[in-house]
Amino acid sequence: MTEKPKVGVYVCHCGINISSTVDVDAVSEYAQKLPNVEVARTYSYMCSDPGQVLIKNDIRELGLNRVVVASCSPRMHEPTFRKAIKEAGVNPFFLEMANIREQCSWVHEEIEEGTAKAKKLVGAAVAKARLLEALESKEVDAEPAALVIGAGIAGIQASLDIADAGFKVYLVEKTPSVGGRMAQLDKTFPTLDCSACILTPKMVDCASHPNIELLSYSEVEEITGFIGNFDVKVRKKARYVDFDKCTGCGDCAAACRVKDRFPSEFDQGMGKRSAIYLPFPQAVPAKYTIDAENCLFLSKGKCGKNPKCQEVCGAEAINFEQQDEMVEFKVGAVIVATGFDTFDASRKPEYGYADYPNVITGMEMERLVSASGPTGGKVKIFNGKEEIEPKEIAFIKCVGSRDKSVGNEYCSRVCCMYVAKQAHLLRDKMPDANIRVYYMDVRAFGKGFEEFYDRVRRENVRYIRGNPSEIFKRGDKLVVKVEDTLTATPLEDEVDLVVLGVGLEPRADMREVMDLLRLSQSPDRFFLEAHPKLRPVDTATEGVFLAGCCQGPKDIPDTVAQAKGAASSAMIPLARGKVTIGAQVASVNEATCRGCSFCVSICPYTAIEMVTVNRFGHEVEVARVNEALCKGCGSCSAACLSDSIQPKSFRDRQILPQIAALGVLK
Amino acid sequence: MELEQLQKTAAEVADREDVKYVIGWKKGSYGYRVAPGFIEDAAGAAELIFSPLCTANLATYLTLVEKLPVPRGQEADDRKVAVMVKGCDSRAVAQLLVEKGIGREEVVVIGCPCPGVVDPELLAEKYPETEETVEIKWTEDGFLLVRGEEEIEISRDELLAEKCRLCRYPNPVISDVMLGEPVETRELVEDEGVAEIENRDVDERAAYWEEQFAKCVRCYSCRNVCPLCYCQDCILDRLNPTWVNRAVNFSENTAFNIARAFHLAGRCIECGECERVCPANIPLGRLNRKLAREVRDKYGFEPGVDPEAEPFQASFKPDDPEDFIL
Repeated sequence: MTEKPKVGVYVCHCGINISSTVDVDAVSEYAQKLPNVEVARTYSYMCSDPGQVLIKNDIRELGLNRVVVASCSPRMHEPTFRKAIKEAGVNPFFLEMANIREQCSWVHEEIEEGTAKAKKLVGAAVAKARLLEALESKEVDAEPAALVIGAGIAGIQASLDIADAGFKVYLVEKTPSVGGRMAQLDKTFPTLDCSACILTPKMVDCASHPNIELLSYSEVEEITGFIGNFDVKVRKKARYVDFDKCTGCGDCAAACRVKDRFPSEFDQGMGKRSAIYLPFPQAVPAKYTIDAENCLFLSKGKCGKNPKCQEVCGAEAINFEQQDEMVEFKVGAVIVATGFDTFDASRKPEYGYADYPNVITGMEMERLVSASGPTGGKVKIFNGKEEIEPKEIAFIKCVGSRDKSVGNEYCSRVCCMYVAKQAHLLRDKMPDANIRVYYMDVRAFGKGFEEFYDRVRRENVRYIRGNPSEIFKRGDKLVVKVEDTLTATPLEDEVDLVVLGVGLEPRADMREVMDLLRLSQSPDRFFLEAHPKLRPVDTATEGVFLAGCCQGPKDIPDTVAQAKGAASSAMIPLARGKVTIGAQVASVNEATCRGCSFCVSICPYTAIEMVTVNRFGHEVEVARVNEALCKGCGSCSAACLSDSIQPKSFRDRQILPQIAALGVLK
Repeated sequence: MELEQLQKTAAEVADREDVKYVIGWKKGSYGYRVAPGFIEDAAGAAELIFSPLCTANLATYLTLVEKLPVPRGQEADDRKVAVMVKGCDSRAVAQLLVEKGIGREEVVVIGCPCPGVVDPELLAEKYPETEETVEIKWTEDGFLLVRGEEEIEISRDELLAEKCRLCRYPNPVISDVMLGEPVETRELVEDEGVAEIENRDVDERAAYWEEQFAKCVRCYSCRNVCPLCYCQDCILDRLNPTWVNRAVNFSENTAFNIARAFHLAGRCIECGECERVCPANIPLGRLNRKLAREVRDKYGFEPGVDPEAEPFQASFKPDDPEDFIL
């Protein structure tokens, strides 16, 4: 450091956010007296244009070479001020922010306390600012392709948008077909569009799009690298059916020795499928898959004399020798659209889901009313004795949502409306049925929702406010025990069918995806976005974006909107063709590094490798940082016993004076 | 183990072309003294001994080898160093391999199964040291002290070092050459020294350590003898930033001792050398064994047992307990 530090301190009022509990003028006066401080000023909104101009002018007129801004969290405006001082000719990393809002004014009520703390924070920031080092950001090329994980409506929409913009998309789907949950739905609220009618064209589009490589029945095994340069490994699971030869005719499934024996995943276990199957008639790709667990030949090694499917397949597509295949490719961005699980209703044993066949979930009702469902759309239910057409039907809402006892405090956002929709569909099919809905609240917040809810109520669907405590059997009927909390009347309501409005839960296997992409969970256990308001589709891992219900419960319009948002965010590095990599990365003192490689093992970004260097004639191993991968998290620094690896701008010699400055001030 | 076999093996190894020297134990100048011997050829091997007095952990010398600048035109001497190790010492070698303090190709390990060494303090207390050289031998169930014509039988419990009472690895965990037959492994016994401190309440514990650390003269013997304290540039010596001030007072002494203990958590192999060499008799063994116990109980990790293991500090599992984080 050749030049003497000349620090400018800028204390922000942030309207009254800061100035109501911090005497900003006193802080500024205090700062003025600190060593190396040339000037200290206050302004109502430092981040505004005049605020930035103030700083720039001082840099030009007073020759400042370090800037301290005392305002909000650096998460908020650090980039703003970096840019500002860079424009005035100062290295953007000669900026230090003192957070006197989130960590000071917002948490103090007394102005004396707030002011005293703000002074300490500013003093500490000045102490560090004097010791900052000039850093340069670098750029690397970005691969113009994207990976989309999950081919529900979110993944499909994101893929289509990116592909339409001219970039390559790898769409990876775990199950044999794209479509996800939306494909299982009958009608969609509140417009009653047929779900399949609006979804299947998109399914077909994404399979036939020249820019989309659809990897169905595949799972992502490994993702390494960083924004712009992710290396992806995908396992294409063996279908035991030659993808190119299969025509999707279905002769095999009809001939299968274990025909229609196994619960169909698509029909929520209410319909049956063969061991070789197409998940549903409109499945994309229309290629059959053998379920190796249930196939006689694959599980037992023998299927009659010859496997029947092989005998009847005119295309000779059955291949029992097929092996899983690994595919590797490079992408610049990743979109996670892994969706949700529905709440397992047996976790609320008082509702008897596991005990009574005529207690079903909303998703099962969806298949039951669907014309393509197991009953062809006829609402027939087995009540333990016989199959009946239910006359008395009760819906229960908030099953597994807004319920601390099962660990789900959140609202699932779709149940109110899908219950209303199903009540409407049942009313349509059974004009004389008695339909009631037990609810805690009705949240009809979306476009057209309230109108639809009104319409359903006018269709003689009774809404009764009460959270049932128990469901038990009495004769052929189910009894819903509940208190009508609006009239304070205890009820024992006898019904033929109970539909549980189950909520949405994070995927059971989301831990694997988290490990794959270094993602975090929010308290509701869904994936955590980078900022709840301003970066809702981004994640803490740069270049990785979220779409759909993996980030939190959503209805279809919101899912599609988020997918389009994620697609457009993901396209930024792809379109630019370059990504800027952080400058605040770890650096190694090769003279003191003793080569233990603790840092290599501990680095969550695999950014460190060991290299051999010549130290005065001796070959020794030392750590070296890949700056493109390093996020500057400092884990390596914590693990290093000899303090030989430290993040730039957060070195011990920069942080310790900052801490010392906090301590010496009374 | 026969002395003859030990000396013969040492001579063979010292004569190997790829071996620079053999580090072993030899008789010291008087009394109970035992000194490290650096044997460069077969002739020197006759000096070597192995007895209950061989407390020193010679693995320390492996990382003390100074790598002087190699003059231009010359090549670095990359011959191996051979070292004689007891069970505990071998764990230091294994841990050094884990953390790449040395390379496997740099060392020849001569394993000496060890029935347990004496506590030098206890020994000197009970059988005062004289100028003449004294020999101590292992017997079936204890030690035999030979001083001139005089022979004294001493029971194992009377003189056995504390670390040996707790030792579960008397046989070297790693070796290229093993001398003699393995000795019987003893079961894990309660670490009374640690338990005694654990059972005190917080204030008493603080007072205990305050008293202990106040005695520290900051001679750094513990650090210098420790086979696993070998950073060439120790952070406790640094001036910028100054983590530990040079002043010898309770605060700085505590910072020094605690920092060292933390740097050894999951690395200390319980050879007890720090405690042995401490001129102020600070029970450093207890401090380090307490941390070793925490690491073992919480993470199921024991250092210096498997030279292929992932280092404790650098391994992470999602279900690692973190209940101690405040």
